[in-house]
Amino acid sequence: MKQLQIKLTGVLLLAMVFVSCNKWVDYNPKDDFKITDQEYLRSEADYRAMAVGAYAPLQWLNQLVPVGDMITDNSVSGGESASDVFSLQQIDDFSHGPINFTLSDLWQSSYEGINRVNYLGQYRDKNLQGETISFPGKDALYGELSFLRAYYYFTLVKMYGGVPLFVEKRLTLAESGSIPRSSKEDVYSQIETDLTNAIAALPVTQVEQGRATKYAAQALLGKVYLYQKKYDAAASMLENVIGKFSLVTNFSSIFLPSGENGPESVFEIQYSNGSATYDWAHQTRGQGNYSVQQCGVRGLNGSAAMPYSSGWSTNLPTQNLAAAYEAGDQRKAGTVLDIEAYKTGNPALNVTYQVAPYKNTGLYNQKYLPRKGETSGQIELNYSNNFRTIRYADVLLMAAEANNKATAANDIKAQNYLNQVRRRAFGNNAHDILTTGATLYDAILNERRLELAMEGERFFDLVRTGKAATVLAPLGFVAGKHELFPIP
Amino acid sequence: MNLKATLLCLGLILGAFLQPAFGQNITATGKVLNRSTGNPLEGVTVKEQGKSNVTTTDASGTFSISVAKGAKLSFTFVGMSPVTVQFNKVGDQTVMMDEATTNLDEVVVIGYGTQKVTKVSGAISSVKGTDVQKLKPVRIDDAIQGASGVNVIQSGSPGGAPTIIIRGIPSYGGNSPLIVVDGVPQTQGDLNSINPADIESINILKDAATAAIYGVKSGNGVVIVTTKTGRKNQKTEFNLSSTYGFQEVVRTVPVLNASEYGAIINEGSTLSGGDVIFNDLSKLGVGTNWQDEVFKKAPIQTHSLTARGGSDKVTYFLSGGYLSQGGIVGGIDKSRFDRINFGTNLTFDLSSKLKFILNANYVNLSSKGVQENSFNSIIGSALNFDPTVPVYNNVPNTVGQYGFSSRLLSEVFNPLTKLENTYNKNIGNKFFGKFELQYDVLKNLKLTTRYGYTKYNGNAKTFTPSVFYGINNVDNSLDELGNPVIGRHNSVAQQKSTNNTFTYELFGTYNFKLAKNHHFETVAGFSLAEVSGNAAGASRQDVPFNSWEFADYTSATGNNSATNLNANTGFYYQYRSRNASLFGRINYDYNDKYLVSVTARRDGSTAFGKDNKWAFFPSGSLGWVVSKENFFKSRFIDFLKIRGSYGSLGNDNVSPTFRTIQTDYLASLYGSGNSIGYTFGSTFISGSTLGSLGNDELGWETQTQMNVGFDMNFYKNKFNISADYFQKKTKGLIYVPSISATLGTIPPPPANIGSTKSSGVDITLGYKDRIGKNLKVSTSVTFTSVKNSVTATNNEGTARLVGGGYFNGQSQTVSVFEKDQSPWYYYGYRTDGLFQSAAEIAASATQTGAQPGDIKFVDLNGDGVIDSKDQTQIGNPFPKFTIGWNLNLEYKNFDLSVLTYASSGNDVYNAMERNANNTNKFRSVLSRWTGPSTTNDARSPRYSFVDANNNSRVSDRYVYDGSFIKIRNIVLGYNLAFKPVMKVFKAVRIYGQVKNAFTFTKYEGFDPEISGGLDNIGIDRGAYPLARSYSVGLDLKF
Repeated sequence: MKQLQIKLTGVLLLAMVFVSCNKWVDYNPKDDFKITDQEYLRSEADYRAMAVGAYAPLQWLNQLVPVGDMITDNSVSGGESASDVFSLQQIDDFSHGPINFTLSDLWQSSYEGINRVNYLGQYRDKNLQGETISFPGKDALYGELSFLRAYYYFTLVKMYGGVPLFVEKRLTLAESGSIPRSSKEDVYSQIETDLTNAIAALPVTQVEQGRATKYAAQALLGKVYLYQKKYDAAASMLENVIGKFSLVTNFSSIFLPSGENGPESVFEIQYSNGSATYDWAHQTRGQGNYSVQQCGVRGLNGSAAMPYSSGWSTNLPTQNLAAAYEAGDQRKAGTVLDIEAYKTGNPALNVTYQVAPYKNTGLYNQKYLPRKGETSGQIELNYSNNFRTIRYADVLLMAAEANNKATAANDIKAQNYLNQVRRRAFGNNAHDILTTGATLYDAILNERRLELAMEGERFFDLVRTGKAATVLAPLGFVAGKHELFPIP
Repeated sequence: MNLKATLLCLGLILGAFLQPAFGQNITATGKVLNRSTGNPLEGVTVKEQGKSNVTTTDASGTFSISVAKGAKLSFTFVGMSPVTVQFNKVGDQTVMMDEATTNLDEVVVIGYGTQKVTKVSGAISSVKGTDVQKLKPVRIDDAIQGASGVNVIQSGSPGGAPTIIIRGIPSYGGNSPLIVVDGVPQTQGDLNSINPADIESINILKDAATAAIYGVKSGNGVVIVTTKTGRKNQKTEFNLSSTYGFQEVVRTVPVLNASEYGAIINEGSTLSGGDVIFNDLSKLGVGTNWQDEVFKKAPIQTHSLTARGGSDKVTYFLSGGYLSQGGIVGGIDKSRFDRINFGTNLTFDLSSKLKFILNANYVNLSSKGVQENSFNSIIGSALNFDPTVPVYNNVPNTVGQYGFSSRLLSEVFNPLTKLENTYNKNIGNKFFGKFELQYDVLKNLKLTTRYGYTKYNGNAKTFTPSVFYGINNVDNSLDELGNPVIGRHNSVAQQKSTNNTFTYELFGTYNFKLAKNHHFETVAGFSLAEVSGNAAGASRQDVPFNSWEFADYTSATGNNSATNLNANTGFYYQYRSRNASLFGRINYDYNDKYLVSVTARRDGSTAFGKDNKWAFFPSGSLGWVVSKENFFKSRFIDFLKIRGSYGSLGNDNVSPTFRTIQTDYLASLYGSGNSIGYTFGSTFISGSTLGSLGNDELGWETQTQMNVGFDMNFYKNKFNISADYFQKKTKGLIYVPSISATLGTIPPPPANIGSTKSSGVDITLGYKDRIGKNLKVSTSVTFTSVKNSVTATNNEGTARLVGGGYFNGQSQTVSVFEKDQSPWYYYGYRTDGLFQSAAEIAASATQTGAQPGDIKFVDLNGDGVIDSKDQTQIGNPFPKFTIGWNLNLEYKNFDLSVLTYASSGNDVYNAMERNANNTNKFRSVLSRWTGPSTTNDARSPRYSFVDANNNSRVSDRYVYDGSFIKIRNIVLGYNLAFKPVMKVFKAVRIYGQVKNAFTFTKYEGFDPEISGGLDNIGIDRGAYPLARSYSVGLDLKF
């Protein structure tokens, strides 16, 4: 009797243990109040929020702007010493290899943008539950996403040439290592497809500043054509944008906070100081523009009226750049700041500063110089300066170039577009350029340097026009090697 | 599973046949004496064999116990050989006990039970409570340094946890062993809460056979801590123990004095084309050595009072303790660790069959800390700050008590200013213990049910005041007049956290004998465990009067605005994980000669993917006591056991993985950097994205371990040796793969993709003897050697993890975990002296920026270019072997203990220098290259502000042999024998103690012992050095 009882108790006990043990180690993400992919993309708001997430990596590309000038005769890396901002030093010195934090970060950020767009593409028609979520403006929203993917792939292709190309889905862990590089042509072709789709779906204006518009897509596609030397297509595509924007009279004012998203702005990457972060581990990933702090004057102090904040003396414009401006060109003062001249010219401001300790040029990047009151929180990380990514002046110069090089070259048009930019620069038409053909072409390219200096265009312009070897060889550029950055 | 079910049932059934016997009782009385001294022995356990009645002898050695007529009584006492005496008649008997010269009667605590040391067929290291109490460590894990098979790297920070590595490195992250305190699982972190005076023993289960009963948690070894309990039928015995001492820094690091600094700065500036910075070096003098300013003498004291005793039905051990350790960095006002303990171990015999055990502890922990182990920590600042600056500020019209530099305007500040503005406190209250019921179902069949718990409540506060660091300093939050800088704020951050763990266990033990010599000891049961907790915190800017006194969330006044979202912030998080386990073990021996042990555990964990919830961990061991064989006739060897074991262990040290949607902007930024959100115009929208990838297949890291060894006693049991060789292989290593960057910034999930292999030898050699009448010697030497290797990472073998980051103007990483290498080896360039001439540079591999006097790096791959492909192994932080030596001498009333620890082959990476133009330098810069043939030492390249050659890259220039020999502890005690005093006290001992008395090492930093996570071992960014302490103490027994 006793044995049986014990046996029974034992069996019962074990059965209970089994059942309870299995339940005990179950895990549901809801236990931790975590939203999983299964519960998401079930409303318009979810789709719209995720599309915002696809914009975010644009902000992380902010090092591309300094890189585009620093590697050229426009500026030098600077910094505290030869080992400060080491990845930028390498780029400035043409000693960069595949292991370079700045380059790999730009690669990774671009691909995160692509993956985010792709993920929304996967669930455009049906979400994970198999539901179709329809809402007004969904096509336009996907137009923005197409624009963004084109922007990310364009960033990659102009930096690295042919890159792994995928548009169907967000990569899984297993797939990520196995995608081969596509050809440069295939990547460009995908960018054109995306931008064509974007142009078809996007409105010409958006209520919210900074969202992709039809004009932004057309301007970008014009640039993409230009990079492929498809001048005819570029000329006609850019023509869509001509006259839709206007040049601001005061060049310097474009780069003031009041100049953001102004009449000249075709597309800007938006930054703000209203969501201040302190995350030093990801200093390029917040809402602030990290590159602004980088180019500031070291140890800068002065009276309350002195408008600038101090920074890290990185991306210093060269004297070569300063000398490239003719007398009377207002863009010189709007592009480079001679700090010593500023100090002596404004004794009332009581300016003191530390001479840039490495690769000093005496000049600073006036376009994106840190200014008081434009940051908050961890001040180094939260400058609100937008990048004026595509300005109307850029569109005019691109259109000028396309018309000059088109099969049916139209140099009158090209001169007109070029001189619109020059008249704004000089405030008169005394500096109009009336040459044609190859001379005009060179003038347009030179104008791009002057107009767009410190905006990250120089290197890519030199490479795409085949002038990099001539211009950059004294700085260490090796033809056939340095046109593209090594793949990380 | 079925195995254990059968086992448990078998146990229950067999038990039913056995009936207790009854008989006539008599009262046995008598006295127990030490045969060699003739003195009475107090506290001897007197137990009727096979029964539960037990008593202990009093101070005069007498006992009285009611037993069956003809019963055998066993007498046991620590340090004495046990004696068994038969009692047939009433009347006093005198029992003589001999001092044990052998360790063969010892019992070790294992998982869910105890085992006679002679029957152990696995690998266990033991540390006795008396040794712990002699060392008087702040934390009891410091006391296992020197145990065989264990590497312990101590931390100098007050109360800081040492790094414990038991038998090598099975995985890249976790190294903390499972800690089991009186049967209840805890973590290494919890060892800061245990009063060393409470320790009875510490046993370290090293191999698979002994550890496997803890299954998934045992992959890094198991440390079983047993605390003291009461004694039956004994008057209360009190122990009071007090020590008081002070600590000091052992050595400082030689840096430049002011005029040397001035000369070097001038040279650096002029060589790079700049101006002379100090025009008159003679004015500089020696300046300030900031290390002398930040290191302070700091007090350390410990006090404990324990009481133990018991009646026939109730026993108790009560303990109270207080410890206060000041820190030598900044002194006790800024850096300290304080602990107050109360503990009770109570046992109640509710009936003859039912026993209730209550173990309850309360601990109050409080600490203050300073910034540690970085170039801008207090020590880092002391090493790198400008030596020309006077200690006190003498610049007119500026606030600030301490001097400031006109050249260092960011990052490195006056360490005294930093110290003065360091305000924090951390207070924790912890309750832990267990409720346990033991029921003797039948003779030798016992059911135990146990609920163990730990509950911790923490409360932390940090105040970051507004500070003036110096004129033009970019980090000023006060200007030179003491007014706040616009946009900068002081702030206070507060946090409350709770952590709860509980373990419920039910198990049965059944010990039986079949035929004459087949002994079985079996155990089977199950356990459920949960770890959960949460934390909430808030921070707020604008503390009134910029003062610590008012630093509290309630008094701060910051309010968020459009441009300042950090004026008033809060957070909350929670976590929970659960385990379920079934386990069983059979220990069998035939006549104490042939030993077999089989253990199995099945574990389930919330951490794992739904496809891999459960795993099974079996193990077994065999032993052969050769010396019991009839053919074994040796006069020299008294005992010889050969043993071997094989089995598997696990690790579930991960969190569950799944595909989350990230919707919180700040949370997406911090941590992974997989940020969301965008600003349209000036409107910020939070956005969302896929925030993580899941891995449903994520499963157990399993480790198989083989162990062979032997235990031998020889030369009249005066010597004993125990030696083991082991081999450990970990498969399915839980590893966060380094992903292809085309995946973007989404954090990859952990996956079972790696494997590692460790092998090694642990040896313990002991000697114990009485020489002449008055000298007792007991000493032991341990030897531990482990070799580790990563055998796979992922299929392609390409995944690698980097760690050991530091900053010297560039963000550097030193340590790497990758295939075919020792875990977390140091990775960088090899150096080949210095370039002496331009001709030499031209003749060497292309090295961008090199000039004569720069370091010549080795072109490892011979491609004629020095680039990242030329990096290789430049060091290994883990020692080739370690040796512990414990010497105890007793001469008449004196006792002397010396503990020595040596570590060989561990490299240290010196990452203490900030290396900015105007920071201070080590004195080694004085022997720098100044022209052809001045030096060819790669540690001393030319000095220039412009380092185009990047001499400061990670290279063997910074790697030092960190081998050391440390005299860790010297205690000299005297036992008072003054008669009048002895009437009041049973024992009085006074002693003096020196900890970390001497360190012999070639490393030029503070201390080659640098603890931390595995990827940070040995990387010296100015780690908190271990203090030398001098103490005096008093032990009273009454």
